[in-house]
Amino acid sequence: MNISIEKKEFSEAVYIASRFAERKSATLPALSSILLIAGDEGIKLRATNLETGIDLKLTGTVTTDGVVAIPATILQQIASAFTQEGKITLEHLGDILVITSGTGKSSLKTVPYDDFPSIPFPENPKNRIVLPGILLKNLFSSIASCASTSTVRPELASIYLSIEGGVLTAVATDSFRLAEKKVPLSNKGTQGKFLIPAKNALDIAQALPDNDIIMSFDEHQCAFVSEKGMVVSRLTNATYPDYRQIIPKESIVEATILRKDFETALKRTTIFSDAFQKVRISFDPKKNTFSFFSKNTDIGESSEVLSAHVSGSALELSFNHRYLSAVLSLTSAESISLTAAGIGRPLIIKGVSDTSLLYLVSPMNQ
Amino acid sequence: MDKGNPKELWEHVLTQVELSISPANFNTWFRNSFIVKIGDDGVVYIGVPSQFFKDWYLKKFHSLLLKIIRDVSYEFRNIEYLIVKDEHRKVQKESKNTRGALELPLEEFYINKSDNLNPRYTFDTFVIGSFNNLAYMAAQAALNRPGITYNPLFIYGDTGRGKTHLIQAIGNQFKKQYQGRKVFYLTSEKFVVDYTDSVQAGTANRFKDKYRQYDLLIMDDVQFLSKKDKTQEELFHLFNALHDTNKQIIFSSDRSPASIPDIAERLKGRLASGMAVDISEPDPESRMAIVQKKAALHGVMLSPEVVEYIATTLSGSIRELEGMVNSIVCHAQVKGSAPDIAEVRQSLRSFTRPQKNISVKNVVDRVAEFYGIDEDSIYEKTRRREVVRPRQIIMYLLREDFNISYPTIGSKLGGRDHTTVIHSCEKIKREIIVDNDLVKEIQNIRTLLI
Repeated sequence: MNISIEKKEFSEAVYIASRFAERKSATLPALSSILLIAGDEGIKLRATNLETGIDLKLTGTVTTDGVVAIPATILQQIASAFTQEGKITLEHLGDILVITSGTGKSSLKTVPYDDFPSIPFPENPKNRIVLPGILLKNLFSSIASCASTSTVRPELASIYLSIEGGVLTAVATDSFRLAEKKVPLSNKGTQGKFLIPAKNALDIAQALPDNDIIMSFDEHQCAFVSEKGMVVSRLTNATYPDYRQIIPKESIVEATILRKDFETALKRTTIFSDAFQKVRISFDPKKNTFSFFSKNTDIGESSEVLSAHVSGSALELSFNHRYLSAVLSLTSAESISLTAAGIGRPLIIKGVSDTSLLYLVSPMNQ
Repeated sequence: MDKGNPKELWEHVLTQVELSISPANFNTWFRNSFIVKIGDDGVVYIGVPSQFFKDWYLKKFHSLLLKIIRDVSYEFRNIEYLIVKDEHRKVQKESKNTRGALELPLEEFYINKSDNLNPRYTFDTFVIGSFNNLAYMAAQAALNRPGITYNPLFIYGDTGRGKTHLIQAIGNQFKKQYQGRKVFYLTSEKFVVDYTDSVQAGTANRFKDKYRQYDLLIMDDVQFLSKKDKTQEELFHLFNALHDTNKQIIFSSDRSPASIPDIAERLKGRLASGMAVDISEPDPESRMAIVQKKAALHGVMLSPEVVEYIATTLSGSIRELEGMVNSIVCHAQVKGSAPDIAEVRQSLRSFTRPQKNISVKNVVDRVAEFYGIDEDSIYEKTRRREVVRPRQIIMYLLREDFNISYPTIGSKLGGRDHTTVIHSCEKIKREIIVDNDLVKEIQNIRTLLI
């Protein structure tokens, strides 16, 4: 094999692909490698950890064809250390890959590529939709943090995506809070739903380009195809809990606050939160205020009273402050609304004028 | 191997596959797979975690797997790969081996797990005689007002006198009388093991809590706690905790609290602080009653002379008595009729102890051999120290164990005066109180003589 590629393109591709390689060293060496293919279809980078897989196309000149597998971490270190513009050449001789870049020349030991698994790209999936990559990227990267990090319940460690009536709904919950985001789609025909592991979704979000991509899925896997390449992920084979059930239909009090106020006041209050990260919020419809209170026996206590538009009856609830502040990264609305349905019932947070988001957080025991 | 069992078939496949591919490959590709089912049409369905696996199995392992299962049986036609739900891939819990959990057929071996009590021991089967009447009354008193009347109740007596029966019967009765209250029976040995285990596991606090929750704690054979200082201390604290909250405690031992060796004074005092009552040797009438009751329990009626024969001709503990009764009952059941006196005599031959008609010469020989001296020197007039002591021990043994008169002993041992013999016996008697080594020596000699 003998190829030459632009440094910048190569290092970007390697950076993306290396995220898909297996990070645990105990497994098959081929899984922690990046496969470099030079052939009729041009230059390709492949990596997989058997959960997700990536196949990236690179533009470059192929002098001779060939396949080679290189340990992902090494290749990533090399690629990130390139300086200046220009091209590099990669040459495969025996079990050595020689990378020449301007002044430098490195010889890399390769890994046998026979063990490198084939990445299962869906050939003719039943369901496909076209949507801007940036949209999916934002959706995944904002909502994935709300999913559970534990693998005990695989369905909670996943993002639930459902496509219905031209709207893509993404839901993530770790059973303490829930985030639901809706995105309108341009083509309204496709319907379907699937669960994608949140961890994989984050990796995929990094790899997606901003322009239009084709998302396709079947029962067991989904693929995201763009002009730069393809990303696949296995899907979680489980049934997602019927989350709509837990969203309170009625409410007893509602407050609308400026996002800026909410953010800064919460930030100050959390300094005084205790080991359980508890912050108490109270609605006061008479004075039209919304206030935060937290107390830590070692540090002291703090309270913040914000002017707000409050309608309903007075109420006090306690929350883990992390779950409250998480909402700020989910919406960019100028002001937010908090709707409570009573003691022990979840609190609904929405962005005013942002109908795409619904955030639900369970209170702590008082 | 059962080729119809998916689990066994898969295990067989795995062992074969492991031989033909690298460990890394094996771990990566085969760890999370299993056979879902074996179809009626001979298709084996293998469950894999994702599409990656499915593709790779088809590409790399299909022919290998097919060959392996074909080797098992030609009934298997093909392999299909299924992507299975995540829940199904969780490690399945080992199904409990129901064969091993079969209940023991003998009711007598049944022990209640929660309180450790053997339900066989009840007051219904307990024979009350003059020898254990006091202990029985104390037990009843403790049962009527647990934790108040006699706390702790300490029952002692030689082995096989029915201590365990009595204290377990208290436990069983307590359970019946006070439902909802907690009883626990254990031997002191179990207590020691439990304590050391808890120290080892670093759960000493759980150990404390465990024993403090009981309303009635029964500890058998506390004499085994001697020299176990830490356990004694733990028992001391446990005792205080239970005693302070008026929880009944019952102990049993083969000797009185005061004479248990190597036990902390403060614990000794506490053991004796309630009621210490002994069960003495059963009198012949009680023994007869016991024999009758035990035989009746087995549904065998024995004639009065047989009962008397068993109860009187054979010395020994109640446990031995029970053994004899069991043996007779067994004989009776085989024959189908109650045994007569001749048969009983025949069947009990194995239980009879060797008679203690042993010659003076025999005793002298054994003791001389034990001390490594010439037996002739025993009979001589020599006063060498190494001879005098064995001679005194011989006199003591002849007197104590064989009831030979002082003058006879004197004349048999070289024509000595009976006052010499009396002096020797008294001397040994005095010395064994203070000299533990001497006690052991005499004990060893006694075993040689039987």
